[in-house]
Amino acid sequence: MATGADQAVGMSLVLFSLLLFTYYTVWVIVLPFVDARHVLHRYFLPREYSVILPGVAAVLLLLCIGTFTAVILWKNRKPKKTD
Amino acid sequence: MTKLLQWLLGVSLLGAVWALVAFDLLELSLPRTYREVAWPIPLYLLVSFGCYSLATVGYRVATFNDCNEAASELHEQIKEAKEDLRKKGLKM
Repeated sequence: MATGADQAVGMSLVLFSLLLFTYYTVWVIVLPFVDARHVLHRYFLPREYSVILPGVAAVLLLLCIGTFTAVILWKNRKPKKTD
Repeated sequence: MTKLLQWLLGVSLLGAVWALVAFDLLELSLPRTYREVAWPIPLYLLVSFGCYSLATVGYRVATFNDCNEAASELHEQIKEAKEDLRKKGLKM
């Protein structure tokens, strides 16, 4: 069974993704239709960051995955050489 | 028509519509706002997919459960297999 910690982690993941989705939707889809001087604009970065930040995040993620794969491959190759 | 061709057709159609709106290729004189919204739509879809995946993983982590029936079934089968092997003269 899922323990309390599992449930907490899982639900916080769900909550985080929902928050992210809502925030990003408002930022990208809703905000262009809102008047530029509206108060809502104060809570969001300038529009170009809605492309830059996910881009940076994607590059970081790919780098992490690449490093992870490289480390795993490197570790698995070592014992074979000693055979 | 193969599945690959279907997918390619669908994707290229969507891409064409996206490019039409995002870069105003036909000079439709769409409002500026439309173009501003349409331009980051591919990235928006990617982010949405990421959010959906994250939420699915989180939900499955939170509701992870034991499969008692499957475990007992497996134990039963292991017992059967051991019995069968013992009959055939295998020492365990």
